[in-house]
Amino acid sequence: MPKWFTPAAVLCGLMFVISPLLIARAPDESSMGMVYKIYYYHMPSAWMFLLAPLVCGVSSAMFLVRGRPGDDRRAWAAAELTVLFGALTLITGPLWARRAWGTWWVWDARLTSSLVGWMIGWAYLILRRYGGPGSDKLAAGVALFGAVNVPFIFISVNYWRTIHPPTTVVPRLPVEMGLPLWFCVFAFLLLFMLLMTMRLRLEETRARLDDLYVALDE
Amino acid sequence: MAALRAACVAAVVIGGAAASTALAAQPPQPQDEFRPVGNSPAPEQIPAAPLLIGAYVVVLGGLFAYVVGLSRRLGAVRQDVERLESEIKRRGR
Repeated sequence: MPKWFTPAAVLCGLMFVISPLLIARAPDESSMGMVYKIYYYHMPSAWMFLLAPLVCGVSSAMFLVRGRPGDDRRAWAAAELTVLFGALTLITGPLWARRAWGTWWVWDARLTSSLVGWMIGWAYLILRRYGGPGSDKLAAGVALFGAVNVPFIFISVNYWRTIHPPTTVVPRLPVEMGLPLWFCVFAFLLLFMLLMTMRLRLEETRARLDDLYVALDE
Repeated sequence: MAALRAACVAAVVIGGAAASTALAAQPPQPQDEFRPVGNSPAPEQIPAAPLLIGAYVVVLGGLFAYVVGLSRRLGAVRQDVERLESEIKRRGR
């Protein structure tokens, strides 16, 4: 692991210990009450859920153009994080919606496009797992669709009629609500970098293992 | 003519009913901004605490499970690498 990994992991752990204290001190929201505080973990998860397919898509495009295995490994790692953070987003969202909207789920543009993005992440992983030879390039093609879906997810709440709060709520947050939120965003971003590093290392070690098997056969 | 008039009336009635049903089915308006609760307590029709606690348990538990799983996978592959490296060295001798 790189030298920065251990200090960053300690810092990330501390941030996740401190974050519930900051969230507990933040005020409730006027119409949603206490359940609004799901937002402090839901939104950073959702942002990582948008970041991961972008990393996956860009890395896949680079892999298709240059054919370097490192790009492919990065794409694979990011696809797994797409599924992870997508799951967290798609579980915490309905828990919030149940109290705030009175329903677990609505088929609006934001929720539906998020579900599609999550399924594209699964499609990538399933292709890699069961696709056989050549699945790396097929999966890279799928990843491009996942990346193209990201701007659609982001702007969907601003352009289509939807119950989901628009993106403008974030810059309008008062300081006592915004501070814990940005703290959580940085904690999740740091965690994302750490998980990407670990997952990349796994792929590099697997590649080394494959090389060793070849060397052993010769 | 009477049939045409009846059809028009039926169309208006059915259209009106469909429109009112569609309007009734519309979700509530989204919030443009979040505001602190201030002095007025928020309505609590559905208990918020189980949902809130559930959400945090899901996130922290999910992340923890993923980190543990990833560490185990990494450890297993590293062990295989070490085993093969020692095997290759042994054969080289």
